[in-house]
Amino acid sequence: MTNDVIKEAVAKQQSGDRKLAADNSVLGKVMTFNIGEQVYGIEIQYVTEIIEMQRITKVPHVPSYIKGIINVRSKVVPIVDIRTRFGKPEIPYTNRTCIIILSFNETSVGIIVDSVADVEDIHTGDISATPENRSVNTNSFIQYMIRSGDMVKLILDVARLLDEQEA
Amino acid sequence: MAKIEPGMEAMLDMYFYETNSLLEQLDEILLRTEQANAFESEDIKEIFRIMHTIKGSSAMMGFENLSVLAHKAEDMFFVIRENPDVITDVSFVYDLVFQVSDSYKAQIEMIQNNVNGEYEAMDFSGLIDKLLKARDALVGETKGEAPAPAQAAAQPAEAAPAPVQGSDKVTVRVFFEDGCQMENLRAFLLINTIREECSFLEYTPSDVETNSETSKEIIDHGFLITFTAIDNNDFVLKQIESALNVQSYEVISQAAAPAPAAELPPEPAQAAAPAEKPAETPAPAAPVKEQTAVEKAQAAVEKAQASSGAQKQNLISVNLAKLDALHDIVGEIITTESMVISNPDLEGLELESFNKAARQLRKLTSELQDTVMSIRMVPLAGVFQKMNRIVRDMRKKLGKEVDFVIEGEETEVDKSIVDSLQDPLMHLVRNCMDHGIEEHAEDRIKAGKPEKGTIKLSAQNASGEVVITVSDDGQGIDPEKIMNKARKQGILTKPESEYTIKEIQNLILLPGFSTNEQVTEFSGRGVGMDVVKANVEKCGGTIIVDSKKGEGTNFIIKIPLTLAIIDGMEVTVGDLVFTVPISTIRESFKAEASQILRDTGGNEMIMIRGVCYPILRMHEKFGIETDVTDLEEGILLLVETDNKSVCIFADKLIGEQQVVVKPFPKYLAKYNIKGEGLSGCTIMGDGSISLIIDTNTLIG
Repeated sequence: MTNDVIKEAVAKQQSGDRKLAADNSVLGKVMTFNIGEQVYGIEIQYVTEIIEMQRITKVPHVPSYIKGIINVRSKVVPIVDIRTRFGKPEIPYTNRTCIIILSFNETSVGIIVDSVADVEDIHTGDISATPENRSVNTNSFIQYMIRSGDMVKLILDVARLLDEQEA
Repeated sequence: MAKIEPGMEAMLDMYFYETNSLLEQLDEILLRTEQANAFESEDIKEIFRIMHTIKGSSAMMGFENLSVLAHKAEDMFFVIRENPDVITDVSFVYDLVFQVSDSYKAQIEMIQNNVNGEYEAMDFSGLIDKLLKARDALVGETKGEAPAPAQAAAQPAEAAPAPVQGSDKVTVRVFFEDGCQMENLRAFLLINTIREECSFLEYTPSDVETNSETSKEIIDHGFLITFTAIDNNDFVLKQIESALNVQSYEVISQAAAPAPAAELPPEPAQAAAPAEKPAETPAPAAPVKEQTAVEKAQAAVEKAQASSGAQKQNLISVNLAKLDALHDIVGEIITTESMVISNPDLEGLELESFNKAARQLRKLTSELQDTVMSIRMVPLAGVFQKMNRIVRDMRKKLGKEVDFVIEGEETEVDKSIVDSLQDPLMHLVRNCMDHGIEEHAEDRIKAGKPEKGTIKLSAQNASGEVVITVSDDGQGIDPEKIMNKARKQGILTKPESEYTIKEIQNLILLPGFSTNEQVTEFSGRGVGMDVVKANVEKCGGTIIVDSKKGEGTNFIIKIPLTLAIIDGMEVTVGDLVFTVPISTIRESFKAEASQILRDTGGNEMIMIRGVCYPILRMHEKFGIETDVTDLEEGILLLVETDNKSVCIFADKLIGEQQVVVKPFPKYLAKYNIKGEGLSGCTIMGDGSISLIIDTNTLIG
């Protein structure tokens, strides 16, 4: 539900509807996390839970960004390393490293992030659409951006991330 | 696009279940009686009843086209019921009823696949026309043969309009089954069902449709209906009686009932067999003057219904999703149990009474598991019966004389397996009919075989597996033809001379293989047998072909009893744990340097008791880092499937464990994990995950 509202807001931003900037209502919440210096966010309705790093059972014959599978309360959940997925170098896991379990359309996937930051509101005025036609490969997973101060937070497109078809 | 009436969704499942089982029953009766080539009066009544029930429930659900279709079929059988002798062309009637049954199934499937309550309503007008014509033809027969009264009975609605009883008001009090819920809506549906049969209709409480508070009143005091039937009160009473969830009804008053039973339109069906349906007898037999008579009759009705109710209670229908959930929970209990019993915290402690209790727990959970498994087991009879129908249709179309024999249909298999077996079996049976059995009976006679061909479908339990055989005594598979075709298709993988007869025969299971030059309606699209093979393998089974030219063909399918829980041997490779199904392991042993051989290509082999087996290193196959690379250091497991054997090399044996098979997450489905030797994963006692080896794909 919130998704539609946000999509609309993004579309309006894109079409240069400046009226929105004044209207600063809250559209929903995002959970933010860090990967390197960059802050990313995921809309809260997709987040099932956050668990600490644990031993991951490797699965053969999958791309390197799929780290394997883990057991989350008797459910087998595949784990994706977001760093590797976005083509960033791997770093050793620390005690800040977390797994965020996402659910979308009955598919559950865990993503490994450097650390979890915060949960914050999405304000209409802060939303901006991603620049189009950029040839950066991470771009395809970004749904829109949120500005707060000088910081830009990239909100991930969970549907795309989870449903992606092999190109 | 038609829409499912709002508020009906909740009852759809029930409707599908009921209607589908009625249709299956119908098919069964038809197939059984067709062989005898005559309808028994019992069967006619049963068909009439089935059509009647379907008509009622379809009307209730608002599926008008289905209701009308059933109505017309019912009309036709009404005529037949009254005059069983009128049928001159039995096979015509059969074809018609089969068509009705098929149309029904097709429409119901469409409704089942509805999107947001919208479905495509099929047009049955052609079929309905046929039914009408058939009925008129039958009525015509009756006129010619039977005297007038019978005709009146045959067509109370049109030919002899409303005798006597029609003008009487009847008040009945209806009670619904305990705990069926939404009594007010059920009452409303009941009213809808009988509305078209009544010229006058009144009911209390009158606001059942809109006021859900009336449920309570209906539960406490019953639902009062006063009606005047257009033609026959008994008919309406019967409709009330057979309506969904109606537990009982009583006739309170039949205002001015001058009609003695004799003046009722003759009901030979009931008069002939009063004992058969005791519940119905009171209705026509009670022109009700004295209250005691009513009560007596009512008591009889209730008794009869109570007893039939008690019988019904032995079987309940359960949503499969609930069973799956139960099954999952049991799986988790078993996992958790191992977690508790072999908890690392307990190591080194003296725990006599704990161990005793643990043993007891283990016994109970394994009993629980067996019971849950047995709930999911269903006999193959349902699937087998459907094959009966296919043989019947093809026999007609192809003009081949064939006996169809079924054996071991009571054999039970997991529900999910039964469902996925239907398509492969259908294909095999069609193949036997189409390609197996000789085109002309003369060919059979020439070959010294009985004129009539035989197709046999049999099932039996054999050591944890179910073996299903589809066999025919037809022309068999000609290896030369197969070879030619295979050569043309370019699917041969080794020199022709190296193929054994058995291997040649099994070529027909490969994708893109179909020897029949002519594509027929039934088979021969070239996507036949490989689909069969894929389907069988999907449910963990195997299929082999065994055929002798000129004598016939056997297709042998072996499937596991259940998919979900297997006995596995745990082995480690590097830091991963694998589960190898024990059923595939022949032996496990340490290798000695003297046994190990290398061929010219550097492939490792091992000699065991004079037989040479290839060695498959798991760490290489799955790309795992491990310290154990010396064959003598690790462990070798000799595994065997489909007459192929290989020794797999792992680091260490951990032990035997019963594991609950879980599929890989959906997210991973796009990667070819399953084709590369893994069939799924399982959660072990300590909460870690082990990967289950699929010996078939591992070797292949």
